[in-house]
Amino acid sequence: MAEKRMKICLAASSGGHLTQLLKVKDVWQGYEVFCVSSAAIVREKLERFGRTYIVNECNRKHPVKSLRVLFQCLSISVKERPSVVISTGAAPGILMCLTARLFSAKIVWLDSIANTERLSMSGRMVRPFAGLMLSQWPDVAAKYKDVEYAGAVI
Amino acid sequence: MIFLTVGTLFPFDRLVKAVDSGIGEGMVEEEVFAQIGRNGYEPKNMEYVESLDKKAFDEKVKKAVGLISHAGMGSIAMALDHNKPLLVMPRLKMYGEHVNDHQVGTAKKFEELGHILVAYTKEELPDKLQMLKHFVPKKRETQVEAVAERISDYLKQIKRA
Repeated sequence: MAEKRMKICLAASSGGHLTQLLKVKDVWQGYEVFCVSSAAIVREKLERFGRTYIVNECNRKHPVKSLRVLFQCLSISVKERPSVVISTGAAPGILMCLTARLFSAKIVWLDSIANTERLSMSGRMVRPFAGLMLSQWPDVAAKYKDVEYAGAVI
Repeated sequence: MIFLTVGTLFPFDRLVKAVDSGIGEGMVEEEVFAQIGRNGYEPKNMEYVESLDKKAFDEKVKKAVGLISHAGMGSIAMALDHNKPLLVMPRLKMYGEHVNDHQVGTAKKFEELGHILVAYTKEELPDKLQMLKHFVPKKRETQVEAVAERISDYLKQIKRA
């Protein structure tokens, strides 16, 4: 029986978000993978998993910058058409999820451990259409019907 | 040596100034080395740099007997990995130190779990600096395999669909 070929996009801002995402690297062993992050310094670390795209970092305080990153992510999504996006945020992560979703990608969201009291803003944005939502705190997961707790990676 | 770091994103002058004046008032006996961030406030009572490359940064952490930082996850994870006592001050949105106040929640949570010390205001700093000397952080347990398994199960599920 032929197995559906899945292409996985790993998307995370450089720094803590990326560190947490890479903790679960066993997940994508054997799959075709490409990476999206936000600082050139992490390119070498990510290239051993697959093609790596570096977009600009952005956050909610800079809507014009964010728009630019949105277009960067859109062009990556059009080119790559990932089947799945796995992300820990932050803004570049959610923008990759949103644009990939236009092409029916499934979304796996692991909310950053820094969000100890409620889901991050990007997590709340992605929640309506994520396939799997994870928080790293059981009391945060308990606040949302469709958010699970499987443990902490940091 | 105590290593003070403000993290990689922006300066944190409120913390650096408070530690700097604390040293001036004799609050800290240990020598303090500070990484102050780009265009950060330049302290008068400690040796400092704006930034450090990864190797130099790791060396400072290894040599330090204690760490002082903002309540960023990178700093907390680094202290836990090296089993070093860490005192944090959360960045606050109202001072333009971060986009929101999530560092307060992070600080409270990790303080509750016994992993770090927290000074929520600069008035709390002197007492907490004293406590840093004798603080033994509780070891942190993680569940990386369980999280990876949950995600893998989901991937298998969508493959079959």
